[in-house]
Amino acid sequence: MIQLVNLTKHYGKLAAVDGLNLEVPAGQIFGFLGPNGAGKTTTIRVMMGILKPSAGQVLLGGYDVERDAVNAKAISGFIPDRPFIYEKLSGAEFLDFVGKLHRLESRRLRHRIAQLLDLLELTPWKDELVESYSHGMKQRLVVCASLIHEPRILIIDEPMVGMDPKGARTLKDLFRALADKGTTVFLSTHSIGVAEEICHRIGIIQQGRLIACGTMAEIHDRAAGKDGNLESVFLELTREQITD
Amino acid sequence: MHSIPLLLWPVWRSWKNDLLRGQQSWGRRAALLALAIAFWLGTYLTIRRVLRYFETVYGLGPSLAYQLLLLILLTFLSLLLFSNLVTALSTFFLARDLDLLLSAPTRLDAFYFARLIATTVNSSWMVLFFSPPIFAAYAAVFGGGAAFYLWVLLILPLFLIIPAALGVLITHLLVYWLPARRIRDILFFIGLFAFLILYLAFRFAQPERLVQPESFGHFMQYLSAMETPSAPFLPSSWSAEILAGALFKRPAEQGFFFALLASYALFLPLATSWVASAVYLAGWSKAQESRQGRRRTERLDRLLERLTRPFPAVTRALMLKDIKTFLRDTTQWSQLFLLAALVVVYLYNFKVLPLDRSPMPAGTIRLIVSFANLALAGFVLSAIAVRFAFPAVSLEGKAFWILQTAPIALGSTLWSKFWLNFAPLLILGELLVWVSNLLLRVPPWMMTLSLTTMFLMTFGIAAIGVGIGAIYPKFNFDNAAEIPTSFGGALCMIFSIAFIGAAVMIQAWPIYQLAVAGLQPGRSAVPQFWIIASSSIAVGVLTVAAVFLSLRLGLKSLEQLKG
Repeated sequence: MIQLVNLTKHYGKLAAVDGLNLEVPAGQIFGFLGPNGAGKTTTIRVMMGILKPSAGQVLLGGYDVERDAVNAKAISGFIPDRPFIYEKLSGAEFLDFVGKLHRLESRRLRHRIAQLLDLLELTPWKDELVESYSHGMKQRLVVCASLIHEPRILIIDEPMVGMDPKGARTLKDLFRALADKGTTVFLSTHSIGVAEEICHRIGIIQQGRLIACGTMAEIHDRAAGKDGNLESVFLELTREQITD
Repeated sequence: MHSIPLLLWPVWRSWKNDLLRGQQSWGRRAALLALAIAFWLGTYLTIRRVLRYFETVYGLGPSLAYQLLLLILLTFLSLLLFSNLVTALSTFFLARDLDLLLSAPTRLDAFYFARLIATTVNSSWMVLFFSPPIFAAYAAVFGGGAAFYLWVLLILPLFLIIPAALGVLITHLLVYWLPARRIRDILFFIGLFAFLILYLAFRFAQPERLVQPESFGHFMQYLSAMETPSAPFLPSSWSAEILAGALFKRPAEQGFFFALLASYALFLPLATSWVASAVYLAGWSKAQESRQGRRRTERLDRLLERLTRPFPAVTRALMLKDIKTFLRDTTQWSQLFLLAALVVVYLYNFKVLPLDRSPMPAGTIRLIVSFANLALAGFVLSAIAVRFAFPAVSLEGKAFWILQTAPIALGSTLWSKFWLNFAPLLILGELLVWVSNLLLRVPPWMMTLSLTTMFLMTFGIAAIGVGIGAIYPKFNFDNAAEIPTSFGGALCMIFSIAFIGAAVMIQAWPIYQLAVAGLQPGRSAVPQFWIIASSSIAVGVLTVAAVFLSLRLGLKSLEQLKG
């Protein structure tokens, strides 16, 4: 469902993403891990067509993000790490706007807005202007917006930033439920706990390159001899690369 | 006091880094520099020509030039005051680094002076950019020499600091006294202030005096009125007085006026610092309080839904979002007060124009004024487009990712913004031309030609605004009112004026032909319709080029944001 083919992105001389190859099948939650500045956000921004790749290709549901941007975006939802949204619209108006960008028919749109606001517990604030929302509420509103058109692919950058424990639990349950229904979830995170808890497969990126990729068991095997938790495996693998 | 340079260091450093390591290529910078030089040359030559023309009016040359200088300096002063009000609100109360600076052990007086300097520089660069060719033209025509330039150098910093200190003072008092739970109240007042400033600036200038010598009874009385400022208590008048002394070699108390200017330039920042030390923290604290609001505009929303129904679904969604955001953002709609002031003053001009006293035949002078009006109305529309159409893309702000990741072509975003700005600009432009032509009582062909040209020009003006706004987007802003004061804003104004100039020049020939035909019936062989049609087609071609070039370059630039 998601394919990154030799994806490369340069900022001047710096290769933020360097020949990344990756495939994520339908219905899988893929955790994208890496230290700060490893190239996670750049990869995601290229995947969503916000940045142009220097080389390589991103295919979402078979559509090339560069050449067939409208179709690729129509089947994808995006949750950025910082929820910048239109402050002068109310929550419901913002969702209505995003739904219309996705050309949703109005009855279905109204139904989806009510359903999602309810699911993410925003219904009491739906008519308040976004400028009065807390960070967590804005984050939940962006989640609603990303799901409004029932995307087949969900791309998420650091989903738990600014979330309270209850909100974080709601999101994790939501991602699992979506994957069970066949949605592909590509999730970039710093939080090893989140990755360990909900991801089917994990990729570790460092200095723009994928240094490990596989199921939890496979990643453990790569760092054979280290004790069982993912955190020490992650630290070991990223340290190895630096010393190399 | 070494903390003042420290507080200014991030501003200076960011500017330097942007210049040396910014993303703009050196080729593009060279092109912009060439454009700026061309603009300077154009302004210099135009002003020089006007001043040379004044010189030919026997005995009145220096007086007319002096009145023009007064008018220019008064305009600068009003612009500076308004710009400082807007900037001070941003630098003192809304900037993102305030939390950092005010939670550090920063001395409040050092903070105040550093911000005053930053406010002055931010607000004054446009005046600094536009004024050198004007002064140079005066020096060239009236031979001020080194003394004149020395006076300019001495006066300019004082002339800039006075409105800056006043702007900062007014902003502090507004934030302190108003129930500042909502910043928009303050911006509303700033809008009103700007209205008053514009209105007063116009009244102070008393332009009708220039063309009514008989109302002075005696020529000497007229001459003496022409040689004195109409608002002697304004810094612009003191500055004009000093410069006039150097330019026209007339006896002037330059020392006295310079002392007056300097004393105000020293006293006002100091007085403002006392006020700031007393009210700043309380005001800033009030400004922090949450700005929340529930929308209570259902009737208006329904009306908007109905008005935008003819557009395709996505365009309609984009338009509705933009209109609602505009109407709910006081920094945006308060600028409408400025617009109202502009229109009132503009039309009032035509009402008081003493056309009957002109030595030329009334019909001819009406046509000349109506022709000039076409350019002037275009200029007004350009100024408005810089305020509203130019920021259209920038106003997406950090939420621009929503459009970038939506399944829509970026082109449709630009077109929706174009149409949204085009409609009100068209109504306003046609209204200005129609009402002023009615007041001028021009013949029907002139009315038709003016309305057609304005209709076509509005397409170009709106497209240049939106297009250049897309080429120079400013997504990172503290206050929306600061977007048009950016470099891109100035560039937008320059291109817009160039476009209007070209369009109006094309219409000069048919107007001349038809005016001559009006004076000497039967002389012109070409029928009226064909003259108007052919020149309108030429303006149409120019407009199509301006629209597609601006929007295409804007779109290309937005796509290049992807890196």
